[in-house]
Amino acid sequence: MDAPPKAGTPRRPRRSPARLVRTAAWLALLVVLLALPLYLDAAWLKAGQYMMIGAVGAIGLTLVVGQAGQLSLAHAFFLLAGGTAYTVLSGPTGDDRVVGFGLDPGLSLLGAVAVAALLGLAFAPVAGRLRGIYLGVASLALVFLGLYFGQSAEELTGGTSTGRAPAPFSLFGFPFTDEGPAISLLGVPIRQAERMWYLFLLLTVLAFVIARGAVRGRVGRSWRAVRDNEAAAAVMGVSVLRAKAGAFAVSSAYGGLAGAMTVLWFDILKPDESEYGTYGINVSIAYLAMVIIGGLGSVPGALVGALIVNGLPQVLALYSADLGWFAGTGDGTLTPILVSSFVYGAAIILVVLFEPGGLATLGRRLTRLRRQPPEEP
Amino acid sequence: MKRTHLAAALVAVLALSACSTKATDSGSSGSDSSGVKTGKGVTATEVTLGVMTDKSGVFKNLGLGVTQGNELWAKDFNAAGGVCGRQVKLEEVDHGYKADTAKTLYPQIEPKVLGFVQLLGSPVVAALKQNLASDKTVASPASWSSELLDNPYVMIVGTTYDLEIIDGLSYLQEQGQLKDGDPIGHIYIDGEYGKNGLRGSQFYAKKHNLTLKEVKITSTDSDLTNVVTGLKGAGVKAIVLTTTPTQTGSTVGANKALGLNVPVLGNNPTFDPALLKSPAAGALDKLTVVASSVPFSADIPKAKDVAAKFKAAYKETPNGGVPYGYAVGEVWGAVLKKACDNKDLTRDGIAAALKQTTSASTDNLVAALDFSKPGTPATRQVYAATPDASAEGGVKYVKPLFEAPEAKEYVAPHQK
Repeated sequence: MDAPPKAGTPRRPRRSPARLVRTAAWLALLVVLLALPLYLDAAWLKAGQYMMIGAVGAIGLTLVVGQAGQLSLAHAFFLLAGGTAYTVLSGPTGDDRVVGFGLDPGLSLLGAVAVAALLGLAFAPVAGRLRGIYLGVASLALVFLGLYFGQSAEELTGGTSTGRAPAPFSLFGFPFTDEGPAISLLGVPIRQAERMWYLFLLLTVLAFVIARGAVRGRVGRSWRAVRDNEAAAAVMGVSVLRAKAGAFAVSSAYGGLAGAMTVLWFDILKPDESEYGTYGINVSIAYLAMVIIGGLGSVPGALVGALIVNGLPQVLALYSADLGWFAGTGDGTLTPILVSSFVYGAAIILVVLFEPGGLATLGRRLTRLRRQPPEEP
Repeated sequence: MKRTHLAAALVAVLALSACSTKATDSGSSGSDSSGVKTGKGVTATEVTLGVMTDKSGVFKNLGLGVTQGNELWAKDFNAAGGVCGRQVKLEEVDHGYKADTAKTLYPQIEPKVLGFVQLLGSPVVAALKQNLASDKTVASPASWSSELLDNPYVMIVGTTYDLEIIDGLSYLQEQGQLKDGDPIGHIYIDGEYGKNGLRGSQFYAKKHNLTLKEVKITSTDSDLTNVVTGLKGAGVKAIVLTTTPTQTGSTVGANKALGLNVPVLGNNPTFDPALLKSPAAGALDKLTVVASSVPFSADIPKAKDVAAKFKAAYKETPNGGVPYGYAVGEVWGAVLKKACDNKDLTRDGIAAALKQTTSASTDNLVAALDFSKPGTPATRQVYAATPDASAEGGVKYVKPLFEAPEAKEYVAPHQK
């Protein structure tokens, strides 16, 4: 059933010039991203891949927090779940220390997404009953669950003392490592860093397109209805529990994908030794920061948020090694990591005080495309 | 009208990408006039070694100390003529003890260096494990877990955590503070460092029939009073620690306050001279520290020499990282010289020279090291020391280098 368009949101004409410009801008960005490996060194590509991991995770979180209005602090747990699932599914069979199923890496990646989605669905009964900060605290429990799981399920995670190596990614027999056929593009050898860049770019574009589709379609409408007023949504025929569960499952699936990407990026799955680490509270909060800076519920905003929060420390560290910035040592010195924490902390405060819609609203204001109230907040 | 713009943009981008500036990095290796093979990190006048350290994170004090030790060694090594007519240069980066930063910085520094004289932090070493193997880069981690030895490119200078604990327990028993069949407690951080130490106490407990009570904590726990209370209830006769210095302070404090007063044994990372100025200072008399590298204040000629040079060059408070950093440099010096004799200063040459190094001497800063058996710790000897506020570096040692008979029998996880 296709609901008639609501008053106040006229459908944009299909061929408005603004829309064309926007499409052209996205295409140009994609072309630039495709060309980047021809110019950037491996270290910068590595930093770029880290931003893409952030982008995938942040898109998932912005759907559940911004579109469906459910505060989730469990994102790091789903990262761990996805990473573990990928490593276990693709791991070699017959290892006496850890469990492995020896599946094809591509299939394992899908499996990781599915496992994370199912875990999100399993948490849905809780998510359906709680709201706001209560849900935030309840979901935080999952991060601690992940910490204990990582420590104790050594057959799966490899344990905190050594971890375990994931199977290197390959698709239809094409390896994303330095092995396999030697390819070069315009005189640039396409090796592991470049191959992983294209893989991550593909995953990020897929994640982006699917999320945009969900937000603009019926699913997104039902999420926003539930967010704004559950009673009204129920009257309009939206199943509130189903919408909430769906949003949580979709968001955890994204978290799982980001987790599998994390494991591939690090070349190792190593559970944290404390609640701060690769899958700790700090990561959940970093993802929340991306979503708030980018603008709650905005998919392109999540990309920009990931660029700032995941990218800044990396880029500053690379520059400081090149240019000798932050050369001080000991207490009270500025370091890339410290500076980037200040920057994104300040960004959050500024956003909350002056532009609750985040960078997304700011961007729309700047491009003056606000002739009508935006469809998606 | 917009179509043309779009098309123009696309054409422009494609045209740009057609003249890429990225050079193809050929692993060019040649020979110089005297027939020495060279590769990455070696020029006609310089040999570059990498330092990936923590100058801003949780281990900044240790990282700074080790780095300064490395620098002092490089200065001395160059003054003595360097290697193969080349001077050693250090390329330093700070990863702030963050694995993700290290992973990004590695590809930037890797093409410039022959090997790594320092790789600090177990999360960092774990994340870079695959890279070291695929780039054939020999690296000395500032982490002493025997689990790392499954990687042939890892060179651990000193005794591993498990052996430190075995030697330490044997020292306590020798001193009459422990006897066969006693219950002992082991508080460990669940992770590479703590678990590896636990292997040692498990082995020793089995040998001597001790009842071992294992207590798992995380590195962020700061108050261990309840843990010590539990151990008191179990009637332990000694407490073993593989913890952070803060946790060591909490443990010895509770040990005294609760009237338990049993000997406490910690290995190298459990002690920081800062503890002597902490509230726990009065309770440190029960603590014995076992380590394979000497404290800053050690009463041996080489350590005194390093200490004097340190004071001349730096103003920071010294710690045990300084002589250790110097010692690692000495071992690298021995390996470089061996590779030079083999006329092969490539990465493969360094890996081969490392395997031929059977008695790298550091003038007793660390016990003599034997790298010829991959998977086996290069030494099993430790020093035993006690905290002493009057000594520089905060400890004085009570037993010089020794190897317990139990340590001889111990089989490390990757020992062939």
